[in-house]
Amino acid sequence: MNYIRQFCRKSVWLALSSVLVLLALRLASAQDIRIVGVGADLKIPLSLHELTGGATVAEKRFLDVLCADLVRSGWFTVSDAAPVIVLRGTCQVAGSSLEVRCEVLNRVTGKFYFARVYREEAARAPAAAHALADAVVEAVKGVKGIASTRIAMIGSREGMKDLYVIGSDGQDLVLLTRDGVPSLSPAWTPDARSLFYTSFVRGFPDVYRIDLERVRRTRVVAFPGINTGAQVSPDGRFLALVLSKDGNPEIYTQELSSGKLTRITRTAHAAEASPVWSPDGRQLAFVSDSTGAPHIYVTGREGGKPQRITFRGNENVSPSWGPDGRLVYSSRRLGRYQLCIYDPQKRMEQEPLTTDAVDHENPSWAPNARHIVYSRTEGYAASVYILDTMGDPQLQLTPLKGDWYFPVWSPR
Amino acid sequence: MKRGPIRMVIAAATMAVLVLGAAGCKSKNGPGGPGLDVDVLPPFDTDGAGWTQATRSEFGDLITDANAKFENVSFAYDSFTIAQSERRKIEAVADYLVGNPQTTVVIDGHCDERGSREYNLSLGEHRALAIRAYLISLGVAGDRIHTRSFGEEQPLDHGHGDASWLVNRRGAFSLFRK
Repeated sequence: MNYIRQFCRKSVWLALSSVLVLLALRLASAQDIRIVGVGADLKIPLSLHELTGGATVAEKRFLDVLCADLVRSGWFTVSDAAPVIVLRGTCQVAGSSLEVRCEVLNRVTGKFYFARVYREEAARAPAAAHALADAVVEAVKGVKGIASTRIAMIGSREGMKDLYVIGSDGQDLVLLTRDGVPSLSPAWTPDARSLFYTSFVRGFPDVYRIDLERVRRTRVVAFPGINTGAQVSPDGRFLALVLSKDGNPEIYTQELSSGKLTRITRTAHAAEASPVWSPDGRQLAFVSDSTGAPHIYVTGREGGKPQRITFRGNENVSPSWGPDGRLVYSSRRLGRYQLCIYDPQKRMEQEPLTTDAVDHENPSWAPNARHIVYSRTEGYAASVYILDTMGDPQLQLTPLKGDWYFPVWSPR
Repeated sequence: MKRGPIRMVIAAATMAVLVLGAAGCKSKNGPGGPGLDVDVLPPFDTDGAGWTQATRSEFGDLITDANAKFENVSFAYDSFTIAQSERRKIEAVADYLVGNPQTTVVIDGHCDERGSREYNLSLGEHRALAIRAYLISLGVAGDRIHTRSFGEEQPLDHGHGDASWLVNRRGAFSLFRK
């Protein structure tokens, strides 16, 4: 067998977070997803039967996590009966390390996808499972997997607000700050090694950057007035953000290397918020209340006349511009915030993805352009859910008590 | 640019191995099951205490005298227009500032909990700026008036109805002496 030797890249994240709070992922009661794409009928049967192991705790954990990851990807049903995709090989613990040798093939077409070896500390068996699951999704479906991704969010527990990161499987909750002060708008850098966010830790809304590798926080933007909503451009060189230093809240870009500011909007009588970059970095979408109510507009990265793109609903806020070019946002319909998608190709506001009489806010696309994480507020309690635009049931990511909001999916 | 240490926390936890809802998986629960201890996080320290009164260093010391306490300015939902009925509150602040030339004012703009938190941060700033503009029109120099928006992050009333929301949509004044 011609195995390609590949070590799982060590997650920097796990290395620095010495101890983790692990959460249980659970199926949510929310079932309000409207099926907009391929449904469960088109899932591919996949078998793990020929991937042997499970004699030790780490092996069993690896197999359990791998199975859950493949199911959660949305593309497979794990079944030993009439499988199309087969994973075969071994997972074995020797001493303190886990070695997984796995090949992936299509039993119907005979296609051979890959064969790889994963080695990992036994205690980090889930990281190896996430890496293999993502490789399977990418090889078979040609799209990015989400098993290794994380979600940053703000948690408010007994009024103490702080920044957290959690695995997209609901595991490994990590508290990043211990300020207990208003914190808003986390945003990942494209390399997923840093987060920008807004904190009142020094009394005013300023933008901070947290370097997750060096475990260091730096205040990066602190003009008079508000400094918030920082979003890193796809090339990693610029921020788009909201500043009120010139009179009222406007959208700006700032070159990170030089600090040079470019003003994008000029609305003396309106408030702007929530800028986001297009995937190619050439445009910005943002919220403006220049018509009297907040709606979403698009403009060029250097500014220019903004074009309003949302007209339905009383308000449209919190855009997230996905990797496939579609925007998802919260639209106020019949008094509730529902998630909607705007497709720039068709210039069309689609029907709401959600219909439950609760608030669905702050959506953020997964890097697979299929799943969306958002904050669901029901009875004034907010928790974070994952929604599948192709129809799988929603998953509640944060069953903990407290309020959980501003979820943002890591880009990798 | 200043740097602050990030305080990594953290709390040990039980090994809650997931896997509810993964249909077809060989095993539903790992060791420990899905239980988790939500109280493992240590108590928050008190470093953040007093942060609401933290200021840009140039403002000076907070004035706590009774005659420097002013009523909050109220706003309508999703509005930063100053109603006729609210003007006298701002005029009282203007009188104080004119009579006490060594003082500066910080106006905190707040919103109720409805609407996007990001939009509300901008709306709260607009409310504070509207009050600032009125103070300037009453003869107070702009460099003595600072604004700070809390958006919906600091409600005065933690209830969830019209009465609570009315109290929470406000502009609040803090006076400082150099």
